[in-house]
Amino acid sequence: MSTLQLSPLDDVLNTATFVAPGMGLPVALVDVSLRPRYGCKGPGAATWLQSMGLPVPALPNSAVALAGDGHVLRLGMTEFLVEAPAQTVQTLSCTPRSAGVYPVLRQDLCLHMTGRRLPQLLLQTCSFNFAALDLTQAPVVLTSMVGVAVTILPGERNGVPDYRIWCDGSFGIYLWHTLSSIAVELGGGPVRASFE
Amino acid sequence: MMRRLPPQSHEWIDRSRTVNFEFEGKQYSGFAGDTISSALLAEGQTTLARSFKYHRPRSVLSFANHDASVLMQAGDVPNMRADVTPVEDGMQLTAINTFGGLEQDKARVLGALSRFLPVGFYYKAFHSKRLFPMWERMFRFLTGLGKVDFAAPHLRTPKQYDFCDVLVIGAGPSGLSAALAAAEAGAAVVVVDEQMRAGGSSTYQPGSRMAVSLLEKVQAQPRIRLLTGTCAVGYYADHWVPLVDKDKMTKMRAGTVIVAAGAFEQPAVFRNNDLPGIMLATAAQRLLTHYAVQPMQRAVVLTANADGYRAALDLLEHDIEVAAVVDLRKAHAGGIAESAVHTRGLEVYSGACIYEAIATADKRGVKAVKIARFDDGQAGPEQVEVACDGVLMSVGWAPAANLLYQAGTRMRYAKDLEQFVPDALPEGVFACGRVNGVYRLDARIQDGRRAGLAAAAYLGLAAVNESPVVQAENESPTHPWPIVAHSKGKNFVDFDEDLQLCDLQNAVQEGFDNIELLKRFSTIGMGPSQGKHSNMNGLRILARLTGKEPQEVGTTTARPFFHPVPMSHLAGRGFNPERRTPLHGCHAKLGAVWMPAGMWQRPEYYAQSGKSRTQCIQEEVMAVRTGVGIIDVGTLGKLEVIGPDAAEFLERVYVSKYAALKVGMTRYAVMCDESGVVIDDGVVARLADDHFYFTTTTSGAAAVYRELSRLNTMWRLDCGIVNHTGAFAAINLAGPKSRAVLQQLTQIDLTPAAFPYLAIRQGEVAGLPARLMRVGFVGEWGYEIHVPAGQGVALWNALMAVGEIEAIRPFGVEAQRLLRLEKGHIIIGQDTDGLTTPAEAGLDWAVKLDKAFFVGQRSLKILAAKAQKQKLVGFMLAAGFNGTAPQECHLVIRAGEIAGRVTSIAWSPSLQRHIGLAYVQVDMAEVGSVFTVRIGNGDLVDATVVPVPFYDPANLRQKEAA
Repeated sequence: MSTLQLSPLDDVLNTATFVAPGMGLPVALVDVSLRPRYGCKGPGAATWLQSMGLPVPALPNSAVALAGDGHVLRLGMTEFLVEAPAQTVQTLSCTPRSAGVYPVLRQDLCLHMTGRRLPQLLLQTCSFNFAALDLTQAPVVLTSMVGVAVTILPGERNGVPDYRIWCDGSFGIYLWHTLSSIAVELGGGPVRASFE
Repeated sequence: MMRRLPPQSHEWIDRSRTVNFEFEGKQYSGFAGDTISSALLAEGQTTLARSFKYHRPRSVLSFANHDASVLMQAGDVPNMRADVTPVEDGMQLTAINTFGGLEQDKARVLGALSRFLPVGFYYKAFHSKRLFPMWERMFRFLTGLGKVDFAAPHLRTPKQYDFCDVLVIGAGPSGLSAALAAAEAGAAVVVVDEQMRAGGSSTYQPGSRMAVSLLEKVQAQPRIRLLTGTCAVGYYADHWVPLVDKDKMTKMRAGTVIVAAGAFEQPAVFRNNDLPGIMLATAAQRLLTHYAVQPMQRAVVLTANADGYRAALDLLEHDIEVAAVVDLRKAHAGGIAESAVHTRGLEVYSGACIYEAIATADKRGVKAVKIARFDDGQAGPEQVEVACDGVLMSVGWAPAANLLYQAGTRMRYAKDLEQFVPDALPEGVFACGRVNGVYRLDARIQDGRRAGLAAAAYLGLAAVNESPVVQAENESPTHPWPIVAHSKGKNFVDFDEDLQLCDLQNAVQEGFDNIELLKRFSTIGMGPSQGKHSNMNGLRILARLTGKEPQEVGTTTARPFFHPVPMSHLAGRGFNPERRTPLHGCHAKLGAVWMPAGMWQRPEYYAQSGKSRTQCIQEEVMAVRTGVGIIDVGTLGKLEVIGPDAAEFLERVYVSKYAALKVGMTRYAVMCDESGVVIDDGVVARLADDHFYFTTTTSGAAAVYRELSRLNTMWRLDCGIVNHTGAFAAINLAGPKSRAVLQQLTQIDLTPAAFPYLAIRQGEVAGLPARLMRVGFVGEWGYEIHVPAGQGVALWNALMAVGEIEAIRPFGVEAQRLLRLEKGHIIIGQDTDGLTTPAEAGLDWAVKLDKAFFVGQRSLKILAAKAQKQKLVGFMLAAGFNGTAPQECHLVIRAGEIAGRVTSIAWSPSLQRHIGLAYVQVDMAEVGSVFTVRIGNGDLVDATVVPVPFYDPANLRQKEAA
């Protein structure tokens, strides 16, 4: 990604109050918006991604992890979000679009959230029942959080809830402030990206 | 005199921790776990409050979260319920609604004036329009509960969502049994109870191993979450139930709901039934068991069911003398408790009533009751006076069915029980226990199990292969008429509102003989307890006075929330989504003054030291007209349509033609709805044969994308729509020097031959991938430059840097509005409304009715055949006009009638005139016509219709020669 590319949180990251990272932090949120990302949609998108050597989730609203790092998320039937190493994203971006493939410019805010009290934060911000999900199916949730349309990839790491949240970058600062304030109330807070 | 008892086996207080607090200026102490009421009663403070209307001394009635007469102020927190609020160290409490304090409340004189203040007196006495303001001030002074401290800090009370398979409301025996049955069938269960501990009546009627064992099982069941101190205050569709606890509101989404909310014990109506010391039997039992407070020393128990006899025995067990048991019933089956009472040798008056309670000399307690024969609501003439310092009332119950009503349950009046019970429950809603008309403990537990299994079966978790048998009651737990007339009144039906029996009789006599009318005229049930202790008696009174059965009278509507909820919980933490463009920080550094634009924050203008708002805006305008300005237009909707049918799609959704639009060119686009009303506009650019990029209005972006997606799904064209609104930053560089500035940052040929007006080019600007459109919304040579949002700041900074030599100046929304007005460009939503057609707005040139189809075409064809009613025209005020100028929305007046309205108006620094746009009737639209605008103070201002654009009508500013 271009060095001129800024996170949607660029205006606030320099002045934000961060908490010290630690594995025991009840809730931690990290801005990972600058991770390379690619989006596309359309009836030919799944086939095209496969032709580009990427695994495609079989079910709508589910994800597959990429070997090494990253995910391919299937958002509904025909839309995809790829977070992958820069080289992969570069290849996808530079390949001429095929029939039925419509590129989607992804300039999202992306947050990595983790911590044992993350479920409480989710209950305060989102009317979706994450506890009912079967994580072995790698579900992807498209829902609303504090009034903002979000895409959520729920997960677990070492028994601790571990989530990724994407939203339109123009809502980024609002979402960041709102989630940070609740995270602080729950004993955690925002952590510098280096924690990642 | 009340006092603290020795330790009780099931008490809820922690005697190792003393709590000191202040009430009405005096110091008191209690124990941790005490409520405010229990701590005060234990210290002998029996008068806790003054009543709402007559300011009579009041004390505990229900002691169950419904003592609406005993509300207290603690600092900036008004109307705390003393019966359930835990007392805290350092609390400073006062009684509310007093004038001069609880002891010397001057307003108690109102009690002596009660006969001059009958029901509805204010409707009859204070209707004079002239005097109404005075009466209003007086009533506002005299009435109201608690004092709001406007300086109190805003509590950001959290709100949260929660989920469960089965929500059980009520943690009494039936609720616990239901929860256990459902959980054992595999359901995730949440049980809520407004009391601080689970167990319901078993907590104050101890001795039932069955109930204790049930609670232990529930606590050990991992699929059950037990939430005490939590009130389910409403029921909404799809089993959505708000739960309120001390700290927050939880929006619980349940798969199914079991209402096991029990029943509210009901008071008897007799003269002076509100004196301190007279309380519901369950209140006394709670005081004794939970808080080890002796509620009285010598009691009379007024009863009409087995519970009253049980309460009398409980008093005896706590060494409280029972002077008499007064049973309203003449004959009944009797039971174990009643036999025990007789065995203990207590005086029992059957078929009798309390005619009146006699107050102590200071009127703050009861010193005796008069007992008389009871015959159909009338006390017999012969009366026995029995000394006592307290009365227990145990005459019946009203189901806590508020949530069932809200869920849509049809209720019926069961004559054998003298209460309403569910007749037909909505799908997924179940009821058990007392609210279901089941009273005996073993039957309640069975009924709970039945409901729990049914709920599990409803969820598909278990087959119903067990049908617990719930035995019928062998006596009615409720008396049909626990009401005693008295010639001197003060026999209160509604304690919240000080409504006496005669008040309701008078209301019915005056024609308010419908339950809803009676409620509104008399205010019965409209106080803080919302009729929990008055509605049933009120209903019985109305039924008797109108010769109807309770079933015919019906109940009032139980709206959510049926229990008061603190405002802090309702307000709670607010979520107000806000969007920012990537350039927000750049604007802030430049002194932007913000204005909302839908969800967005946009710079209205950029403040400069020592200059007024108007000066700043006019300088920004002149910078664009004479040099170069830069504005963030990233809030515009930015959509793409891609695919072989992309052009066909746009042909259908916009009124103009796009099939023949050349690649690399743009065209203005107007969108109508199916009625032919203008709903949005923008610019459509063709990037490739099968690829279009187009903008929408800032406020319309989301709705347009949603509608286009709907249409695309319906039409099934071979194309896809992508919403890039937030993904692109967009900057408009405008002014005669814009080209010179931009050329320094790009290799794109900006000459007019290579990049003509209304063209679009893709390339790099400042090393960033960009889309550039040569458009002129503000009427000057200019470029709209779109780059990925994350690179917007880099583009802005680059433009500002190279533009410095040309004195580039950022301009805000206000300057943009003025500039476009000079050019005569309309703003959708400001210069149009929900009825404006393209022809009315002067956009008919863009409408191509000869196309095969577009949304709104049929309506526009019909409208084209009709006479047009109004037209948007440009106008100017007279040169040299120096009066108060009209404002947007001021009306155009002709012959005293409305003939149009102003949609835009501003002082044009370029033209040195007030210019504007207005809708006028068609015959007023001719250039040179003069029309009149009525301004805010009623004055009339003349305006002259002029051609638009006001500025650069030949569009020379877009040509190189300019």
